[in-house]
Amino acid sequence: MRDLALLLSPRIMGVVNEMRGSATGARKRRWILGGVGIAFWAAMFLVSARVLRYFQSVEVIGDVLAHHLLSMILLTFFSLLIFSHIITALSNLYLSKDLELCHATPASLEELFLSRVLYTIVDSSWMVLVFGLPVLMAYAWVYEPGPVFYLTLAHSGVAMVLIAAGIGILFTMVLVNVFPAHRTRDILMLLVILMVVALYLLFRFLRPERLVDPDAFFSAVQYMSALKAPDSPYLPTHWVTEVLWRHLGGAPTPYYGFHMVLLWSTALALLVINVWIAEAIYFSGYSRSQEAKRRRAGGAFFLGLLRRVFAAPLGRDLAAVADKDIRTFFRDNSQWSQLILLGALVVVYLYNFSVLPLERSPIRLEFLQNQIAFLNLGLAGFVLSAISVRFIFPAVSAEGRAFWILQSAPMSMRRFLWGKLAVYAVPMLVLGEILVVFTNRLLQVTPFMMTLLAATMFLSVFGIVAMGVGLGALYPKFRYENIAQVSTGFGGLIYMMVSSLFMAAVILLEAAPVYVIFMADARGETVPLVHWLWIVPAFGLVLALQAFAVIKPMRMGARALSENDRP
Amino acid sequence: MIRLIDLTKTYRGFTAVDGIHLEVPRGRLFGFLGPNGAGKTTTIRMMAGILKPTRGRIELDGIDLAEHPSEAKSRVGFIPDRPFIYEKLTGMEFLRFMGGLYRIDHGVSPEDRALELLELFELSDWRDELIESYSHGMKQRLVMCSALLPAPPILVVDEPMVGLDPKAARLVKDIFRDQAASGTTVFMSTHSLEVAQEVCEEIAIIQSGRIIARGTPEQLGQQAGVDGTLESVFLKITQERMSIP
Repeated sequence: MRDLALLLSPRIMGVVNEMRGSATGARKRRWILGGVGIAFWAAMFLVSARVLRYFQSVEVIGDVLAHHLLSMILLTFFSLLIFSHIITALSNLYLSKDLELCHATPASLEELFLSRVLYTIVDSSWMVLVFGLPVLMAYAWVYEPGPVFYLTLAHSGVAMVLIAAGIGILFTMVLVNVFPAHRTRDILMLLVILMVVALYLLFRFLRPERLVDPDAFFSAVQYMSALKAPDSPYLPTHWVTEVLWRHLGGAPTPYYGFHMVLLWSTALALLVINVWIAEAIYFSGYSRSQEAKRRRAGGAFFLGLLRRVFAAPLGRDLAAVADKDIRTFFRDNSQWSQLILLGALVVVYLYNFSVLPLERSPIRLEFLQNQIAFLNLGLAGFVLSAISVRFIFPAVSAEGRAFWILQSAPMSMRRFLWGKLAVYAVPMLVLGEILVVFTNRLLQVTPFMMTLLAATMFLSVFGIVAMGVGLGALYPKFRYENIAQVSTGFGGLIYMMVSSLFMAAVILLEAAPVYVIFMADARGETVPLVHWLWIVPAFGLVLALQAFAVIKPMRMGARALSENDRP
Repeated sequence: MIRLIDLTKTYRGFTAVDGIHLEVPRGRLFGFLGPNGAGKTTTIRMMAGILKPTRGRIELDGIDLAEHPSEAKSRVGFIPDRPFIYEKLTGMEFLRFMGGLYRIDHGVSPEDRALELLELFELSDWRDELIESYSHGMKQRLVMCSALLPAPPILVVDEPMVGLDPKAARLVKDIFRDQAASGTTVFMSTHSLEVAQEVCEEIAIIQSGRIIARGTPEQLGQQAGVDGTLESVFLKITQERMSIP
C-alpha cells in the first residue's frame, strides 16, 4: 500500500501547492467561485425545502410525493454518477499524460489501478456534493430526522458512489478493450449527445405545460401514475431510498438491515471484481491506447461535394482553407455531433411556435401574431448568437498550434478572416431564414412582415457571423485541451453581450417604423408622407448598424492577428 | 537572398533579438547557431512572418517582408522546430491544402509534385492516413514536403533534425545540400554542431540577441584561435562572450 500512497501524493501535493502559492488573481477567482458555489448551494436548499414544505402540507399524497421525489433524485444522480465515472475513468485510466511515467515505475499494477480509481471517484462525485447535498439537507430540515439519518446518509452515499464507480469503471475497461481509447471517447461523446437529444425531444413533446392544466387529468390516481418514477427492488437507489426514508418518517420496514447489507456488499463486491478484471485486462487496454493506429479518412464524396459548394467561388487559397476547415470539422466527432443537438433545438423551436395558445389571448389575433413574429427576430438572433459562440467564435482559435502555417503563408490575415466569414455565413443564413420564415408561416404574418423580417434576418446574420469571426480573432486561444473551452472564456462572454446588444439595437430601431407601417396596412390606409421623413432614416440607421457590425470587428480581428506578438 | 537589417525584437522590456545585420547570398547553406535562449527561434519566426519585428527590416529575395508580406512569404518555405499540423487531414490533403495556400501553378502539377515529395520522404504509404496517426518524425518529414512543395527560393528551417531517425536525418541533409546547389538559400538554425559542421557553408553564432561571430567553420576556428571541432570553437566563442562584463 506504500505505492498507493505515493501514487496519490502528486495530486494531493498539487492541490496543496496551488492553495498555498497561488497568485492574487487566482485567489480572487477562487473566492468568487466559492461565493457563487455557496449562493447556488443555498438557493438549491431553499427551493428544495420550499417544495418539500408544500408537499408536506398536501394531505394524503404529500408524503408519497416526497418519497417519489427522493427516489427520482437518487436515481437521476446515480445515472449521472455512472456516466461521469465512465468519462472520467477513460481519462484517468487511459488518456492522462502522466500515465506513461506511472506505468514505467516499479509500482504494482493493482496499486496503480486503485490510485486511478480513487482519482476517478473524487473527480466524478464532487457533483453529488454540490447538487445532491442541499436537496438531501432540505429533506432533513423539513422532516427533522434524528442524528442516525446523517450517519446513514454519509455511509449509504459513499456506498452508492462506490457502486456507480464500480459499474462505470468496469464498463470503461471492457469498452477500451473492444475499441481504442480515443475511439471510445468519440463513441461516448456521440452517445451522450444522442441521449441528451432524445431526452430533450421526449420532454418537449410530452408537453409538460399541460401539467398546469387541470382538464388534462381526470383523477389523482392518473396524476400520480403520470408522476411515478421508474423503480425496481434490484436498483441500489431503491435500497438507499428505503433506508433514508425510514429515518424521514416512513413506516418501519423489516428490510432495513437487508437493504443496508445489500448496499455495502454490492459496493465492496464491485470493487473486488474491478480489481480482478483490471489485473486481467487493464494493462492490455492501456497498451492498446498507446499504439499508433493507421486511421483512414472517410467521407471523401460528401466532403468533396461540400468543398465544391462552399469553397470553389472563393479563390484557390481561401478554397484550400475552407476545404481544410470542412474536413477537420466533419472528422472531429466532438464537433459534428453537436449538429445533432442543433437540429433538435431547431425542431423544438419551431414546434413551440406551432403549439402557442394564441386563440386564448385577449389581444387581437392578427396584432398578436405579428407582434410575436417581430419579437421572434430577437429570439432567433439570440439563438444564432449562441450557435455562433460555439461554432464561429472559436473558428480562428481552431487553427490551434498549426496557426503558424497561416501566419507564414502568403495570405493576409484580413483575407483569411473574410474567407471564414464567407464560409460560415452560408449555413447561418440558411438557419436564420428557417427560424424566421417557418415561424412566420406558422404565425400567419402579413406579407409585409414576412418580407421585412426575412430581409432583416438576412442582413443581421452577416453582423452576427462577422462579430463571431472578428472577436474570435481578437481573443484567440490557440493552446487548448478542448475547443469548447474557447467559447466559455472571456472573449466568448464579450461576444454574447455584443451580439445580443446588436440584435436588440436592430429591433429597437425597427420597432416604431414597423408599428406605423403595420397599423396603416391593417387599417387599409397609406402611411402619411410626414412619417416617411423619420421611417426612412430609421431603416437607414439599421443598414448602417449592420454594415458597422460587419466591418468593425473584422478590422479589429485582422489587426490583432497581424500584430500578433506572442513569443 | 536574405537580408536582415537592424533586426530587433523586444518583449515587455526584454530584448530577444538586438539589432542583427545579416546578409545571406543566393544558393548558400547558412547555419545559425547559439545557446538556448539566444534569439535563434525569435529571429527565424520574424523571418517567417510569424512575429513582427520591433525595429529593423527583413528582405527576402529582394522583397521587403513588412511592405509586401504576401509576396515575400510566397518565396519562403518554412520548417518550424515542432511540427504542429492539422491532425484531421491526411498527408496528401495537407499537401493539397498547402498547394492551394501558396497558389502553386508552375512547372509540374501540384498533385504530381506532392506525390514526388511524399515518395522522396518515404511517406507514400501513409499519404491517405490521417496525420493524427503519424509519428513525430513522420510529421516533421511531412512539414518538409510542404515547405519544398512551392519550390521556394528560400528555405527557413528551425532545428530540422529533432525527431528524425538517422536515415531521415541523412536524407534531409542531402536534400538541403541539393537545394543550395540548385540556387535555393537555406537558412537553418540548429543545436547540433555536428550537423552545422557537416552541411553548412557559412555559420553565424548568436548570443543574447546579437551576432557574435560569423564565417565558414574554418574562419570561425581562426577567429576563436582554436584548432579543432566546431564544438570547441562554439564553446570558446560563447564562453568568451559570457565572461565579458
